Amino acid sequence: MDQQKVDLFLMTSGKYFEGYQLASIKEKLTKLDDAKLLQLQSVSLRDPIIMLIVSLIGGHFGIDRFVLGEVGLGVAKLLTCGGFGIWTIVDWFLIMGRTREINMQNFQQAMY
Amino acid sequence: MSAPQVLLNDPNEYESEKASNSYLMAVVVIMFGLPLPIVNLIASVIFYVANRKAGHFVRWHCTQNLVAQVLTFFANAAGVYWTAGVVFGEREVTNTYIAYIMTLLLFNILEFIAAIYAAVRTRKGKHVSWWFFGPLTEVLVKG
Repeated sequence: MDQQKVDLFLMTSGKYFEGYQLASIKEKLTKLDDAKLLQLQSVSLRDPIIMLIVSLIGGHFGIDRFVLGEVGLGVAKLLTCGGFGIWTIVDWFLIMGRTREINMQNFQQAMY
Repeated sequence: MSAPQVLLNDPNEYESEKASNSYLMAVVVIMFGLPLPIVNLIASVIFYVANRKAGHFVRWHCTQNLVAQVLTFFANAAGVYWTAGVVFGEREVTNTYIAYIMTLLLFNILEFIAAIYAAVRTRKGKHVSWWFFGPLTEVLVKG
């Protein structure tokens, strides 16, 4: 993929990943074949800030975990009313990092 | 001893944010679960388990917070049990009871301030080692 497209991707999607992951993403994108661009654009990336808002509003019912695709944890959180409120509070501090981790996993799955 | 120190003094942005969150979470949970001492301990355990595979800096600070919470839990649980005995049972308010509750209050306030201080310092990437809990964490967390 040419450098301009790589830079554009990093500019628009950089906030969805951890800072230390950007170097490896750039390296992978540079080596990526242009034919895979469409596949890359279809990767579902979630905004960590949006996920934090979802967690603040719907964390008690496990909505944040459902949105991230962790259905098992979502059901557990729903049935325990957000781990009796404790899990909900802990997730406020974990959800942004977890979102970035899942974004990276989705990105890597799309690459291979 | 020297090798972990190098790692602890050189965290990246991502690590310092997570380490800071462990203290910040403890501060927020204190506000929500104040009457029940176990709430803070459970929250710290969940946070530690979620970050058990993180880097050395994050694990070190999560462990330090957890170790502090364990000791606070036992001290607070004894205080709650004693108070419940005074309020609902036949125990009397003695000088020892008042001294214990005042010490407990002071300890909790100090822990609260220390947690805020540690959250601010670790967010800036600075390593904070508490008295007693720091050396204990050093023993528990291997590089």
